[in-house]
Amino acid sequence: MSLYSGAVKRPVMTTLCFVAVLIIGLFSLAKLPIDLFPDIDTNTIMVMTTYEGASAEDIEQNVTRPLENTLNSVEHLKHITSDSKENISIITLEFEYGYDIDVLTNYTRDKLDMIKSYLPDDAENPIIFKFSTDMIPIMLLSVQAEESMPGLYKILDENVANPLARVDGVGSVSITGAPKREIHVYVDPIKLEAYNLSIETISSLIGAENRNIPGGNFDIGSDTYALRVEGEFSDAKQMENIVVSAKNGSIVYLKDVATIDDSLEERAQQAYNNGHKGAMIIVQKQSGANSVEISNKVMEQIPELQKRLPSDVKLGIIVDTSDNIRNTIASLTETVLYALLFVVIVVFGFLGRWRATIIIAITIPISLIASFIYLYATGETLNIISLSALSISIGMVVDDAIVVLENVTTHIERGSAPKQAAVHGTNEVAISVIASTLTLIAVFFPLTLVTGMTGVLFKQLGWMVCIMMIISTVCALTLTPMLCSQMLKLNPTKGKFQQFFFKYIESGLDKIDDGYAKLLNTVVTHKRKSIVICTLIFIGSCFLMKFIGSEFIPTSDNGRIGATLELPIGTRTEIAQDIAKKIHDEWRSKYPEIKVLNYTVGQASSDNTFASMQDNGSHIISMNINLVSVTERDRGIIEITNMMRDDLAHYPELVKTQVNVGGSRGNGMSGQSTLDYEIYGYDFTETDSVAQQVKRILQNTKGIADITISRSDYQPEYQVDFDREKLALYGLNLSTAATYLRNRINGSTASYYREDGEEYDIKVMYAPEHRTSISDIENILVYNAKGEGIRIRDLGKVVERSNPPTIERKDRQRIITVQGVVNGELAMSEIIADVQPKLDALDIPLGIDIELSGSFEDQQDSFSDLGLLAILIIILVYIVMAAQFESYAYPGIIMTSIPFAFTGIVLILWMTGTNLNIMSMIGAIMLIGIVVKNGIVLIDYIQLNRERGMSIRSAVVLGGKSRLRPIVMTALTTILGMVPMAISNGEGAEMWRPMGIAVIGGLTFSTLVTLLFVPAMYCVFAGVGVRRQRRNFGKKLNA
Amino acid sequence: MKAIFIAFDQAYTERIVEMLERSNCRGFTQWEQVLGRGTKTGEPHYGSHAWPSLASSIITFVEDSRVDTVLEKLHEMDVATPKLGLRAFVWDVEKTI
Repeated sequence: MSLYSGAVKRPVMTTLCFVAVLIIGLFSLAKLPIDLFPDIDTNTIMVMTTYEGASAEDIEQNVTRPLENTLNSVEHLKHITSDSKENISIITLEFEYGYDIDVLTNYTRDKLDMIKSYLPDDAENPIIFKFSTDMIPIMLLSVQAEESMPGLYKILDENVANPLARVDGVGSVSITGAPKREIHVYVDPIKLEAYNLSIETISSLIGAENRNIPGGNFDIGSDTYALRVEGEFSDAKQMENIVVSAKNGSIVYLKDVATIDDSLEERAQQAYNNGHKGAMIIVQKQSGANSVEISNKVMEQIPELQKRLPSDVKLGIIVDTSDNIRNTIASLTETVLYALLFVVIVVFGFLGRWRATIIIAITIPISLIASFIYLYATGETLNIISLSALSISIGMVVDDAIVVLENVTTHIERGSAPKQAAVHGTNEVAISVIASTLTLIAVFFPLTLVTGMTGVLFKQLGWMVCIMMIISTVCALTLTPMLCSQMLKLNPTKGKFQQFFFKYIESGLDKIDDGYAKLLNTVVTHKRKSIVICTLIFIGSCFLMKFIGSEFIPTSDNGRIGATLELPIGTRTEIAQDIAKKIHDEWRSKYPEIKVLNYTVGQASSDNTFASMQDNGSHIISMNINLVSVTERDRGIIEITNMMRDDLAHYPELVKTQVNVGGSRGNGMSGQSTLDYEIYGYDFTETDSVAQQVKRILQNTKGIADITISRSDYQPEYQVDFDREKLALYGLNLSTAATYLRNRINGSTASYYREDGEEYDIKVMYAPEHRTSISDIENILVYNAKGEGIRIRDLGKVVERSNPPTIERKDRQRIITVQGVVNGELAMSEIIADVQPKLDALDIPLGIDIELSGSFEDQQDSFSDLGLLAILIIILVYIVMAAQFESYAYPGIIMTSIPFAFTGIVLILWMTGTNLNIMSMIGAIMLIGIVVKNGIVLIDYIQLNRERGMSIRSAVVLGGKSRLRPIVMTALTTILGMVPMAISNGEGAEMWRPMGIAVIGGLTFSTLVTLLFVPAMYCVFAGVGVRRQRRNFGKKLNA
Repeated sequence: MKAIFIAFDQAYTERIVEMLERSNCRGFTQWEQVLGRGTKTGEPHYGSHAWPSLASSIITFVEDSRVDTVLEKLHEMDVATPKLGLRAFVWDVEKTI
C-alpha cells in the first residue's frame, strides 16, 4: 500500500498525525524566544600581558612580537591585531566564523604556555579574555535626581543595581554618573611644614585612630565580660580632633593643619539625561541569555524599584535594545501574515472553488508551524532570518499541493470517484512533485554549508526552507489527496456571487491563454530572431550593472544614535560639559524626533565595567540618543545623523567626532558600513603623514563622513626626572620619592570610614588649591630616614613631555587605520571607485602599503562565498533535473532562464535605486530554484505532448497554453508572497526589503522569459535532435 | 456458463466489483494493473510519462441468464463517464471442473 492510498484509506489517522504536528509546533512557538539575528558565536579572543614600566615600543618589541609570532600559528585565525601601550600589550585574535571558540581558546592557551618562558622576567603571565557580543549593554536606564544627588550612588547601588543584578540572566549592572562618597582630608602643606608633619604621618595616625580593638575576656565574680576599645569614627567630623602632634606641651589637632571634607570622589564621570544631571545604569546580560526576556523582566521590576526610591529620584529608559527587536519581529510577522493572505487570494482567484482553496491553504500553516519544532529543538530563536524563511516559503509550499490537486481534479472530471481519483491522481504526479522539491532542496541545502559570517546568517534559512519544503511535499502526498477524497465533488454547485465573479475571471484567463498561444506561435516561428533579441537584452542588462551600487548589509533604522566627541587631549571636564550642554540644547530644539538624549563626560572610575571598556577621559563626550519609532517620524535616521554631522562641523573645539547610526559603528549587523583604509608601515612619521593625506582625500570625497585616524595624538604630561645621585646623597631612592609625590597629588588612602555596613575611603592629600601649578609640585617635601625634608626641586626637574601613542599592529605589521562612515548619499562601491584613483596618485614612500578593509572586506568575503555557492547550487540543480528528465540537454535548456532572473534583478534594482547587498544576493540565489521550477513544469509538459505524438511546434504551443496558468499561478504566489516584504515600512524593514525587491524583479522577468525564450530554445534543440535521428535512421537504412 | 472479460480504467474497480456482487456473480479474477488502449478512441493506459493512467481487468464466469444484465450495467457506467474507458467481451465456456 503506497503512502497516498494509505492516507486516503485512513483519513482519521492522517488528520490526527497532522494535528499532532500542529500541536507540537504551536507548543514550540509559544516557547520560542525572540531575537534580532541567529545566535552568533563570538569569534575573538584577547590576550593581555602586563609588563610594568615598559614603554610602548619596549612592549611591542619584547612582548607583543614574540606573542604574535607564536599565536599566528593557531588554527582558523583570520586576523591578529595588537595594541602595545605603556605597561600593557593587548593582542586580539579574530577567527573565522563557525568554529568552536572553546577549542580555539585551548589552542591559544597551549601556544601561550610554549612562549611564556621567552617573555621578559618582569612581564606578568598573559591573560586570555573572550570578547563577545554579550558585553554590549542591553539596556541603559536614566536616573534623574535633585536633592538626593550627593547620596545617589548608594541609593542606586542598594535599591536598583543590586535587585536588578539578581534578575535571572542579568550579567552585571554598573552605575555611571553617580560619584561615590569619599572623605577627603585636605592638608595645607605650609602648615604641615611648620609643624614638621607629613602626609604619611597624618595618614598613618588616622589609620591608627580609626580602629576597634577587642581586649579579650575577663571575669568579674561569676560572670565573664568581653573587653573592647571602640575608636572607629561614627562621624567624619570626629577626625578633626585627632591629635597629630604634641610637642613642647602644645597639642596640634588635625583641624589645625587640614580641613575634613565629607563629599564625593573628585574625578568621576557625570551623566546628563535630557539636560538634567543624574546617573545612568547600564545592564549587561549573561552570555547566552536572551535580551528580550531579560529586558521584559527588568521592565517589570522598574515600577517596583521606583517605589523604593526617594521622591526626587526618577528612573527612565534611555535605550532598550529589546524594543527594537520586538518591533522588528512584530513588523516582520505582519508581512508574513499579509503574504499568507495574498497567496490564498491568488489560489482562490485561479481555482475559483473555495473547497480546493482550503485544501491548498491548509498546507501553509502546517509546513510553517512544523518548522517551529526544528527551531525549538535546536535551541534557535525567532529572528529576522527565520521569519524571512517563512515569508519566502509561503509561496512555495503550496506549489506541490496545487499540482496534486489539479491532477486529482482532472481525474474527477473524467468521471472517477473522488477516492479513486485522489489515489491515482497523486500516484501519477508523485515523482514530479518529489523531483521539483529536490530542485528546491538542491538550492537551499547548500546554504547550510556556507562558512563565515554569511554562513551564520543563512544556515538557519537553509534548514528552515528545506524542512518546510519536505513537510509540504509530505503534506501534498498524504493530506492533500485525503482532503481531496473527502471534500471534492464532481461538478460542484457554485453560488451566485461565485458565478458572477468568476465569469469575468474565467473569460479573462481564457483570453490570456489564447493571446499567449498566439504570441508563442509567433516566437516559435521566428525562433532565431527571438533568441538573438533575448540574448541582447541579457547583455544589455550586464552593462546596466555598472550603475548599481553595492554594499554589505543595509543600514537599519533602529532609532538609536551614538556620538563620541573628542576635545583636544587634556581638556578639563568642565569645558567638555559646557560644550556638551550647548550641543544638547541645539539638537533638542532642532530635532523634535529625539526622545531621550543622554550624555556622559569625564573620566570613568576603574570599577565601572562598562565605561572602562569604552574610550573615556576628561576630554571625551559620549552621547546616547534615542529617537521615536521610525513609523512616527518623517526623517530617517541616516538623514538625521548626516544633519548632526553638519552641525558638529560648526564646533571648532571638537577635534574628532563620530556620529554612529545604531549606537555603534561597523559591527557588521547594525550601524552604517565603514570604509577602513589600513596603512601598513613601520616608521611613525611616514605613516602619520600618509594617514593625513588619506584623510584629506576622504574628506574631499562625497558620501563619506566622520573620518578618523586610529592612532591617537601624543598625550602631553608632566614628568619628574629625579637625579639619582642627589637622591642617593640624601639617602632616598626613586620609589620613595615617587610615592611621596603620589600621596600628595592623588592622595593616600588612610583608612575606611564605616557607616551602615558600607565602607568609604578616607583620603589624605593636598588641598585642591595647593596642587595647581608646577611650583606646587616642585615645593613638595620628601622626608628621608633622618627626618630631613628635601624639596622635589632639589632632587630633580619637572619637565613637560609627550607620551607616545599606542602602537597598533595588524597581522604582525604596524598599522594606522583611517576610517570613514558611508553616510548613505552614495553606495560603498561608488565611493571606492572615486577614492581609488586618488590614492593611486599619492606619492607613498617605499615600504608603506594601503589596504582597504572594514565592511568592504566583509562584503567581498560574503559576495565571493555567495558566488561559489551559486555555482554549487547550479550544478546540483542540473544534476537533479538531468536525473529527472534522463537527458543532458533539457536541463540545459531550462537553465537558460537563469540569466534572465539576473537581468530582472538588475533592472529592478536600477529602477528602484536599491543597492546590491547580501540580502538581495540571497534573493538572487533563491531565484535559481524558483525559476528552474517554472521551466520544469513547461518542458515536462511539452515533452509529454511530444511523446503523445505531436509535432515539435504544436507540442510547444499547446503545451505552453495548457501550462500557462500553473506557471503564472505559482510565480504569482511567490511574487505576491514577497510584496509585503518589499513594500513594508516598519522597523527593520531596510533589512529584508532588498530581498523582496530582488525576488519580485527577478521572478517577474524570468517568468516572462521562461514562457517565451525557453520554448524557442526547446524548438531549436528538439529540431536538431529530430534531424540527427533521421540521419542515423537513414544511415541504417542505407547500410 | 459464459466468460465476461472486462477491461477498464483503474478508477472503475470498486464500482465494478460492487456491481458484480449485486448481480449475484460471486466469482471473478482480477489483474490489478494491465496496459493497453482502445481500438477506436480510448486514451492509452500505459503508466508512462506521456500516458500515466493504468487499466485493470476482470474476468468473471456467469450463468448465461445474467450476461445481459451485467453487460447492461457496464454499458451504463461507460456512458456515464466515457472518458475513463470501459469495454467488456463475452465468450462461451466449453468445460469446467
